[in-house]
Amino acid sequence: MSLAAEAFVSQIAGKVPFIQVGNQVVSELGPIVQFTKAKGHSLSDGLDDVQRAEMKAYMELVNNMLLTAELYIQWCDDYTATEISRPRYSSPYSWPLNHILAYQKQWEVRRKMNVIGWSGKSLEQVYEDVSQCCQALSQRLGTQPYFFNKQPTELDALVFGHLFTILTTQLTNDELAEKVKSYTNLLSFCHRIEHTYFKDRGRINAA
Amino acid sequence: MRKTRVGALFCSCRLARIKTLSMFLAFIPPCRRSVLSWRCALGCCCMHTNMAEPMELLCWGGDWDLPSVHSDSLIVLAYAKFSGAKLAVKSIDWTWRTITASVPQLHYEGSTVTEPAQILNFLRKQRFNADYELTAKQGADTMAYIALLEEKLRPALLHTFWVDAENYVNLTRPWFTSHSPFPLNFFVPGRQASLALSRILLTKAESPLLNITEVEGKIYSEAKECLNLLSHRLGNFHFFFGDTPTSLDAFVFGHIAPLIKAPLPSGQLQKHLNQLDNLCQFCNTILKNYFTDASAEKRMDCSLTAPHDPVDANLQKLTQLVNKESNLIEKMDDNLRSSPQHRHETKPSARASERNSPLLSKH
Repeated sequence: MSLAAEAFVSQIAGKVPFIQVGNQVVSELGPIVQFTKAKGHSLSDGLDDVQRAEMKAYMELVNNMLLTAELYIQWCDDYTATEISRPRYSSPYSWPLNHILAYQKQWEVRRKMNVIGWSGKSLEQVYEDVSQCCQALSQRLGTQPYFFNKQPTELDALVFGHLFTILTTQLTNDELAEKVKSYTNLLSFCHRIEHTYFKDRGRINAA
Repeated sequence: MRKTRVGALFCSCRLARIKTLSMFLAFIPPCRRSVLSWRCALGCCCMHTNMAEPMELLCWGGDWDLPSVHSDSLIVLAYAKFSGAKLAVKSIDWTWRTITASVPQLHYEGSTVTEPAQILNFLRKQRFNADYELTAKQGADTMAYIALLEEKLRPALLHTFWVDAENYVNLTRPWFTSHSPFPLNFFVPGRQASLALSRILLTKAESPLLNITEVEGKIYSEAKECLNLLSHRLGNFHFFFGDTPTSLDAFVFGHIAPLIKAPLPSGQLQKHLNQLDNLCQFCNTILKNYFTDASAEKRMDCSLTAPHDPVDANLQKLTQLVNKESNLIEKMDDNLRSSPQHRHETKPSARASERNSPLLSKH
């Protein structure tokens, strides 16, 4: 499939990232992890039951707090939505699809925020929640190289993905990135993974 | 003249106030009723906050051996017991607050706090802290497990109580209808059910094709996995972090207690939870130690017969069940006999039975 067609399909389906293996398309982190596990590659085999429970719990924490906060800042903050999110989301498409999809996405995200109770929160409260979440992750990481057992697991991948996005995406203000940078062990965790596994790609801006 | 009458009414206690208010409103012409009832309601609120009462919690009432049937209310009640906070618990059953208030709600010195997490933060600031002895890592674990409960278990709980047709029609809707005042009893259950459905669909289903049947399997399997994870984490301990309960214990208790205790007609999640003995034990321990103070005193008096109490209690429960069933059967028989169809049918069958009875009497 051409890139544009793929982007179109994924945006209509709403689920990125996705991998394509032969005739199968698997999207989102959870199913991709299960798919690779079925193929015999799993990062969390060495964990016992209690540690696996903790890993799942921390992954839900990241999904609950960081992902929701990212969505909130991108789509519920009017200035950011107008300046950055809507233009970026609608860039691959021509008129009128770009307007329709951008507003549909914004409406959908705002409905979700309403239902889970985040629509009443102010931007400062959201930053505070992100800070608390980062504090929990920082305390869990401590001085270890990874969250469990000196080997990376799915939790490390998830945390890296979110933190890297927060640190490298340019928004209207850098307050969110500053909050994350204040936790030095999380920052060094991101640097370490980037240097170990993504040497050829772009670099995180130094603090 | 009418204003002084209103002022005199406010001096009595709350229940008497409501009764006299309703009687008073019955005597005035209808055109002025709405205005006066608004002023009376406002006056009630003002009098209330000026009394400087202790922290007051609004929550749904209790049933099925639980202090409250509402998960979030149970979380706050449990945490208050664990941390030693004295709360004046006010049930919103049979009041207008069933539709106006977002429950649970804590009132203290004029300020109002909603949402369990905010209320727990508020109680901690008032120095009622059950997490005092936790390490930083345990505090981080608490946040993570609470997020796990909210993301994985709550959608399935909402589905079990509010979306599953059999449970909703036979248990949830009758309960909430019978605990709401007229005419709100027509609106409260439906509103809660639609809120629950929209929450499940918006957080779990793929948009724009929001269909509940696609996500049912997913949310129940995630909930069962979450319960298994909690069971693994709890192990053989009494509470999640040692021997004293903390806010995580309050959150887990609030979520699983209604699932254990409610008499659900169709509860696949309940059956799964009943297989996890340590979680059921955890729930019963908390109920026994923190929510049954009156019955604990009775147990102190009957300490000599303590070994026989469980057996006696089981026997009592069995006899009660049998009595209830026999009462139900008698009622059904009475209904059948009094129904007009039965009267038409009994005439030929009565003759048949008269014919049969001489035959039987021979044997």
